[in-house]
Amino acid sequence: MSLTNRFKNRLIAKVITRYPSIAQRFISAYEPWESGEAVPWSPPQKPLSACKLALVTTSGVHHTAQEPFDMQDSDGDPTFRMIDGATIANDYKITHDYYDHSDAEKDLNIILPLDRLRELQQEGVIDQLAETHYSFMGHIDGRHIATLIGQTAKQVVEKLKQDQVDVVLLTPA
Amino acid sequence: MGVTIVREYTEKVQPPRSVYLKWPFGHPLGEPGNVKQQRAVVLEAFKALYTITTPGEIVDLPFKWRRHDYNSYEEPGPFVPRS
Repeated sequence: MSLTNRFKNRLIAKVITRYPSIAQRFISAYEPWESGEAVPWSPPQKPLSACKLALVTTSGVHHTAQEPFDMQDSDGDPTFRMIDGATIANDYKITHDYYDHSDAEKDLNIILPLDRLRELQQEGVIDQLAETHYSFMGHIDGRHIATLIGQTAKQVVEKLKQDQVDVVLLTPA
Repeated sequence: MGVTIVREYTEKVQPPRSVYLKWPFGHPLGEPGNVKQQRAVVLEAFKALYTITTPGEIVDLPFKWRRHDYNSYEEPGPFVPRS
């Protein structure tokens, strides 16, 4: 994707963030992929105060030393980055041309609410906050949908299971 | 459970449980520095985890963008499985 197109995408992102009526046109023009399968369902088995929680976001946030998400591919990027909850607030970059992240750069909690979750952990609302969280860049289309469903999402699920996470909060952008 | 700001997509993709906010892109937890607002969204997501019984259900949260007084927000809880 050319620099001109990336600039255009960022400009559109700023406009649709500021003007919801214009955003609605973009939303209506896109058809998300539907599996047609039954909705996965797992009822909570224990109180939240006994649960370990992790975040999975599609906001495109990552550590500065990590490889940025691919913004050259018009179909996006189905890979994920592992986020260290202890250091991310002081060491992050957002690579995502399809929304205006200037506010998230002022306060990461609006896309990754780690401070709020730490407070709730201290209050005993949740038992544990995972040390590792997971970040995707939410523009995933075309051939990358199969990679997300068949590979990368499954990898994240496996890592969450290994970490004995009970509850995941998904945050978009 | 998930937060969504595009209800149309969530209706089609059907994650198990969602809370919907008619808020701008890039602001699923609200505005920078608005701790009460961010906390309210997290707590409402927790509430949805324990109260939604229909797979794919979306709860429409009543918080108006930049027009909601969170000082009067009554926090839900405790969050426990249905007996």
